[in-house]
Amino acid sequence: MGTAISVHGLKKSFNNTEVFTDFSVVIEQNKITAIFGPNGSGKSTLLNILSGVTLKDDGEYHIKDYSKFQFSYIFQNYRESLLPWRTNFENVALPLQIQKKGKEEIKQRVEELQKIFEFKFDWNKYPYELSGGQQQILAFMRALVTNPKVLFIDEPFSALDYENNLLLREHLQRYYLAFKPTILLITHNIEEAVHLAEKIVIFSKKPTKVIETIDNPLPYPRTVQSLKDESFHKVKDEVLSVFQKAANV
Amino acid sequence: MKRYTFIGTVILILIWVVVSKLGLIDTFFLPDPFTVIKKLIELLTSGIIIGDILSTLIRVLLAFVIALVIGLPIGLLLGSKEKLYKSFEFVIDFFRSTPATALFPLFLLVFGITDTSKIAIAAFASALIIIFNTAHGVIHSKKSRVLAAQIMGATKTQVFRWILFWESLPQTFIGLRSAVSLSLVVIVVTEMFIGTPSGLGRKIIDAQITYEIPTMYAVIILTGIIGYLLNLFFILIEKRFLHWSGK
Repeated sequence: MGTAISVHGLKKSFNNTEVFTDFSVVIEQNKITAIFGPNGSGKSTLLNILSGVTLKDDGEYHIKDYSKFQFSYIFQNYRESLLPWRTNFENVALPLQIQKKGKEEIKQRVEELQKIFEFKFDWNKYPYELSGGQQQILAFMRALVTNPKVLFIDEPFSALDYENNLLLREHLQRYYLAFKPTILLITHNIEEAVHLAEKIVIFSKKPTKVIETIDNPLPYPRTVQSLKDESFHKVKDEVLSVFQKAANV
Repeated sequence: MKRYTFIGTVILILIWVVVSKLGLIDTFFLPDPFTVIKKLIELLTSGIIIGDILSTLIRVLLAFVIALVIGLPIGLLLGSKEKLYKSFEFVIDFFRSTPATALFPLFLLVFGITDTSKIAIAAFASALIIIFNTAHGVIHSKKSRVLAAQIMGATKTQVFRWILFWESLPQTFIGLRSAVSLSLVVIVVTEMFIGTPSGLGRKIIDAQITYEIPTMYAVIILTGIIGYLLNLFFILIEKRFLHWSGK
């Protein structure tokens, strides 16, 4: 397995608060990696630096085969990044429009995704007419429509009820198995992390370091049934023990 | 519309009736509402006032269109170039705060006692409002949407065309609505003070000078109705095209 993202000696501080002093991490290619850590440990900051939203102070990072058209980032406030003046279809089509793709190709790609997400959208309606869960699915489809090689997801499930949360996890796995992108997922929820990720990277408090990377060999697709498995609980307990050390709780 | 929305209007008319019936104010200066409304209907049905309405409306429309054609692109440009906006902010704010009527003499000097000078001054005042609101619409757009498009790899032109322009529309429309109202105000005032054979402003001042008081009130009310309808027209367009505003 190759390396998709490598970060070495990263430095970043905000108004004298040092988030990263000498931070390094390696993310493997074509895997789902979850980042889990205490509040304010710089999880979002890392994604923002890697995607060019925030500037680093010092250090190196590299994303293999990076291309702006094959990279997607689903923000935490996905609701505010959807465009209310565009119909649901036009919202999903936006990234492909930016890449100057033809109408036929856009339509085909959206239909392909729709199968994976099993979702019957009224494509001619507007995002504000959808429920929170549906808006989240729309934001996911918009991010995946370009078939990204690298996908960043920041707290994707925090605004969803449990039922929709489980459903979206299932859809994300189905997409992952079909296209095998490298996915970097930030979450505050251990269950989510263990359910979805093959690697779980645990961050310390500021200044942030990687305390440990835990392997989660459970085979995909992981169903709701998998959540009850003993092996699931074993990994979850392991993560929790490391987190306990990290957060001193 | 709910029934209670008319209560305020009815109360105002009732007060007017009571005041004139009791003779609290000389009926020569304040005729009762029935006389005024009768006069208004007479003016409309006889067609005497139609020419004035058209002259005023055409002037307002011309001023507004000129303001739109000049103001919208400038507003969009200033809004998307922060440094450019900052360098013109004071000039715009200064002229926006200067009463347009204070500039009459200047415009008279430049354009003479013509229709052009009435339209020019109304267009000038309206353009400033459109520029200000459009620029602010662009400046205060949601950063998260711009950021999302940038991460998708959008060029500056694409961000402008697909995000910023749309983000600015609700605020732009507020500007357009204020601009059309201001155009009407300025046109009516200029009609009173810059010679013209026709126009509602002219009609009001003529009626006042010749003490045709019911006519004066009737034309004032007519002007108010026109202003209200123009505003309503814009609100309807807004509801139709900016269905997403505030969502």
